[in-house]
Amino acid sequence: MSAPPGAALVWELVGRTAAVSLSATAIAMLIGVPAGTALGLLRFRGRRAAATAVNTGMALPTVVVGLVVALVLFRSGPLGSLDLIYTVRGMIIAQVLIAAPLITGITMAAIQALPEELPDQLRALGANRRQLVTRLWLEARLPLLAAVMAGFGHAVSEVGAVTMVGGNIHGQTQVLTTAIVEDVGKGDFRPALVYGAVLLALAFAVNAVLTSVQQRGAAWARS
Amino acid sequence: MGAVLNVAGVRHCRVERLHVAAGERLGLLGLNGAGKTSLLRLLAAIDQPTVGEVRVDDVSTSHGGPALRRRLAYAPQRPVLLSTTVRHNVELPLRYRRAPKATRHTLAAAALTRLGAEHLADRHAHSLSGGEAQRVSLARALACQPDALLLDEPAAGLDTPTRAAFFADVEHALADRATTVVLVSHRAEEVLALADRVAVLVAGELRQVAPPTDLVTRPADAAVAHLVGYENVVSARIDEAGSVLVAGHPTGVTAPPGRRPATLAIWATAIHLRDPGDRGLPATVVRVTTGPGRHELTLDAGLPLRAHLPLAAPPPDAGTEVSIELDPALAAVVESLGEPGTG
Repeated sequence: MSAPPGAALVWELVGRTAAVSLSATAIAMLIGVPAGTALGLLRFRGRRAAATAVNTGMALPTVVVGLVVALVLFRSGPLGSLDLIYTVRGMIIAQVLIAAPLITGITMAAIQALPEELPDQLRALGANRRQLVTRLWLEARLPLLAAVMAGFGHAVSEVGAVTMVGGNIHGQTQVLTTAIVEDVGKGDFRPALVYGAVLLALAFAVNAVLTSVQQRGAAWARS
Repeated sequence: MGAVLNVAGVRHCRVERLHVAAGERLGLLGLNGAGKTSLLRLLAAIDQPTVGEVRVDDVSTSHGGPALRRRLAYAPQRPVLLSTTVRHNVELPLRYRRAPKATRHTLAAAALTRLGAEHLADRHAHSLSGGEAQRVSLARALACQPDALLLDEPAAGLDTPTRAAFFADVEHALADRATTVVLVSHRAEEVLALADRVAVLVAGELRQVAPPTDLVTRPADAAVAHLVGYENVVSARIDEAGSVLVAGHPTGVTAPPGRRPATLAIWATAIHLRDPGDRGLPATVVRVTTGPGRHELTLDAGLPLRAHLPLAAPPPDAGTEVSIELDPALAAVVESLGEPGTG
């Protein structure tokens, strides 16, 4: 067993992992929450097909996402000219595609679980479209935060897609999950265990913050 | 307004013309599914008519948007309160109207006080009982000082004493008569007590629009008679002299002469029992029960009839032969016998 990794390397991997997954979660949230709200609220032709696609996306194998994104971003692929393959930005795109369906699907279910009469009541109270949607999000704040937590958890724990799209390049695109896989592949368990513990701590820290926000909201709602 | 509302190919209501004057209290009476809520949602600008137009003053609800809806207040049958405090719930429509914070506090507190719910202000809305939630829902509707208040079965689900107290509070809150009110109910006593005029909906169509007294004394047809509460709505015949016959016997009720079929609506209190052999409709007492403040009798006079006797009077036994005399002042001849629509 080799020596544990240096603190500088650990912090570098923590920083890159957090940057990639938090950015991807934030972008997925910006896409998924409005999309899920529209699917939960509006009635339009093709809504059921769209909802089925989102639900399928929630169970999408991440390696398939990685494969498709890699093919698209590869230098000979349709978006190859953007030079995103083996970059952090490419990895963020892959994680957005993994997290967005999850956030969309849970948001859709959360909006549909609200009282059926609520949107009409808000309109009758004089809410415009923006006020109505904001209020629905406030009413569904607990499951919406759960959606964000699930999206982040899915993104930060993912390894197949970021390996294919990022290439696990040391100092550039390596993140905690890909470092663990590489070290275990070499039979080097000690640094892998350290990375695993740090990854758990990172996931715990982010979810602790989100849970605190969520439960503060729940306690206030019960008061 | 004149409007038709269709949803997914099903016609919910069709109203040729209905005008509600400023400050008026209009009751919408009908059975469940008759189209009352559909009509109220059209008036509240929540739904748009498939055909025709609903106008508030000169503004069509199809084009009024939030600005028009902010002139109205709609309280649905099931109060939809938000997961926050009662105070915040009542202030919300004022927030949407961009009222300053101090004004919001003042108006919300005043509305809660008008409905005897000021002590609930800091409670969480989802911890309220059904009656409390109804009061808060109505306070929220009143807080924004609407031009028109649209109430959909506001006391549905409340027990009888709570219902009475709720309507007493509504009457108190609306005592200044500054607000136009449209009240939907399937209970005749509620709309008759509150409304200046009552519109009766049967199977999505207006059957009669009239002041309460006219509606009760001169129902337009059998369905309306059923809805306003006549206990007996029976087939009858009018003879050449204009005498109204039930089961071939004269009732003492008269109508314009000319042989034709008709329907007679009779209040249970209009039926008086006499000795058998006296002039009147021969009948047999089938069943005697005790109701609120009265004895309730089921009679067989060739067709079933219901009669109410004062509690102080000893009721006849089941099987007793009697003769029925009707009080013509408490009976109404209507044109045809039809079942109230259930739409």
